[in-house]
Amino acid sequence: MTTVIEVKNLTKRYRDTVAADDVSFTIEKDTIYGLLGRNGAGKTTVMSILTAQNFATSGEVRVFGEHPYENARVLPRMCFVRESQRYPDDATATHALRMARLFFPRWSQELADRLIADFQLPMKKAIKKLSRGQLSAVGVIIGLASRAEITFFDEPYLGLDAVARQLFYDRLLEDYSEHPRTIILSSHLIDEVSNLLERVIVIDKGRIIMDEETEAVRGRAATIVGDTARVEAFVDGREVIHRESLGRVTSATVLGELTDADRSRLAAEGLDIAPVSLQQLIVRTTQHVESALTAAPEGAL
Amino acid sequence: MNRTWNVVRLQLINKQTYVWVPLIVLAGSFVLTLLIWSMVPFGGQKYSGGAQAVYWYFGVVGVQALTLTFPFSQAMSVTRREYFFGATLTAVLTSALLASIYVGGAFLERATGGWGMEGYFFSIDWIWDAGPAAAWLLYFAVPMLFFMIGFGSATFYKRFGSVGLTVLLVGIGLSLVGLGWLIGRADGWSAVGTWIATQGTAGIAAWTLVVALVVGALSFAPLRRATP
Amino acid sequence: MIEEGRALFLQIAERVEDSILDGSLAEESQAPSTNELAAFYRINPATAAKGIAMLTDKGVLHKRRGIGMFVSPGARELLLGERRAAFADRFLDPLLAEARTLGLSPDDIARLLSERAARTTTEGTAR
Repeated sequence: MTTVIEVKNLTKRYRDTVAADDVSFTIEKDTIYGLLGRNGAGKTTVMSILTAQNFATSGEVRVFGEHPYENARVLPRMCFVRESQRYPDDATATHALRMARLFFPRWSQELADRLIADFQLPMKKAIKKLSRGQLSAVGVIIGLASRAEITFFDEPYLGLDAVARQLFYDRLLEDYSEHPRTIILSSHLIDEVSNLLERVIVIDKGRIIMDEETEAVRGRAATIVGDTARVEAFVDGREVIHRESLGRVTSATVLGELTDADRSRLAAEGLDIAPVSLQQLIVRTTQHVESALTAAPEGAL
Repeated sequence: MNRTWNVVRLQLINKQTYVWVPLIVLAGSFVLTLLIWSMVPFGGQKYSGGAQAVYWYFGVVGVQALTLTFPFSQAMSVTRREYFFGATLTAVLTSALLASIYVGGAFLERATGGWGMEGYFFSIDWIWDAGPAAAWLLYFAVPMLFFMIGFGSATFYKRFGSVGLTVLLVGIGLSLVGLGWLIGRADGWSAVGTWIATQGTAGIAAWTLVVALVVGALSFAPLRRATP
Repeated sequence: MIEEGRALFLQIAERVEDSILDGSLAEESQAPSTNELAAFYRINPATAAKGIAMLTDKGVLHKRRGIGMFVSPGARELLLGERRAAFADRFLDPLLAEARTLGLSPDDIARLLSERAARTTTEGTAR
């Protein structure tokens, strides 16, 4: 597998916040990545720095083996569509797409036309007069039709309704199947996009807390529900990332795959196993990490 | 170079900003001037400062070139260098167009004896006497300067914020006042006046371009670190 | 259709196995391609490929160069064997656990089993 992006110890500091904290990861060619995390976790900051739209405080970034800053060899091979992209005043969607066609060497007008029809985008209306959903559609179409070797989507589909979002996911997968490229999708709607992702990178408060194959993470946790005493007995010695109790019933989310022996035991004890979706797993893991961090000073004693 | 040329096309996406509005501003101020002149009862030569309206607008265009087009150029994966030269090239082309219109208008004006009213809008004597080429150069240099000032201010603002820009403008203002005071101290105003007169139209145009160039060059550095 | 909390490639593989077992996907016939599966289930092609790879490793599918993936001869028997071995773990253990909770003895279960089995057969023949 070829590495197309290498990030080493990337840190971005603002006056009083750390947006990216010693971030390191690699991106492999022709793979769909999910860059997941809460709002303000640092996703946009990282993607901006990778595309040289923003600058690191320290650390190293290599795209196609080179530094992306002011690099006309590397930059046109990437496309970064922001969540709130600004367009020239009075420009229409026609203008924006015509421009994109000029700047992206692998642009597909056929795909763009198809998407315009799919999203029913008004082409002659000024972009500043478009609805939130239509504005997002412009960004989505640019990102998809650019066929850029590395395409970033920074939650550009937020303004789209559920039907339009599904359309985006479908078209994305379709085009990726026929014309593979490296795609990095940032989102906080994890369950919606999880099926598209080959790898997930989870970022929280500027730090990477997970960087794995999606399939390996799925099924990594299970929620055991039932009588409190029995549940506690079962989860003893395992890593519990979430616990809730109501009366004598406890629901505990544990990490670690359940073996057949585990399942038999649970069945015998009359305990239920509830599946844990990727989103739940990531949310619980994030909360777990955050509370561990705040508890650290005490634990250190 | 191809990508830089595409930046020019990017700036010109919307013909309104660089072509139509300046023409409308020009046409508007011209017509207004003619109307005023036709209402004025006295004979003799009449002059108008209406020709400068467009120049102020070019300052605005310079600002908008950065605020509205720069963020989109970043999304188009354009480097800041390509963007800077593309925006400058656009200003050169549109300023040249404007200068040509002015010179064309001046010829017409002289031929019609000041539009039949001895009114001089395009061809002010001291400019026109030096010849159409020098006039063209001046009519080219002035909008370029205004554009660069607008562009430079906006770039500085983007990089250093409103405090930074204010400090810069105040600094420039104080420097100019200081310079004026020094000249006054040395009783040099008449010398300055003579010098300006000896420059002639072409000379002033050249100096204006030099200032525009300097402003442009100084705005490149902050642009290199600007974020969309 | 797709279960939460379980690897997708396993589920995809199981679906293909199901269709082999129930006869809708015959031996020596062409199996759905990675892209077809990905499009149908709306998942990443790499995930679908992982499922296909697993089935290939098991010997259920094989590749015919230039054409695609085909169901291997003997695949059905192989899968039957696998599923039968897992039957008791998958279905009987939970059944027994629930029966215990309800206070049903193995004899009770046996009786219920015969009754239900008879009913299904008559319904089947009646249709």
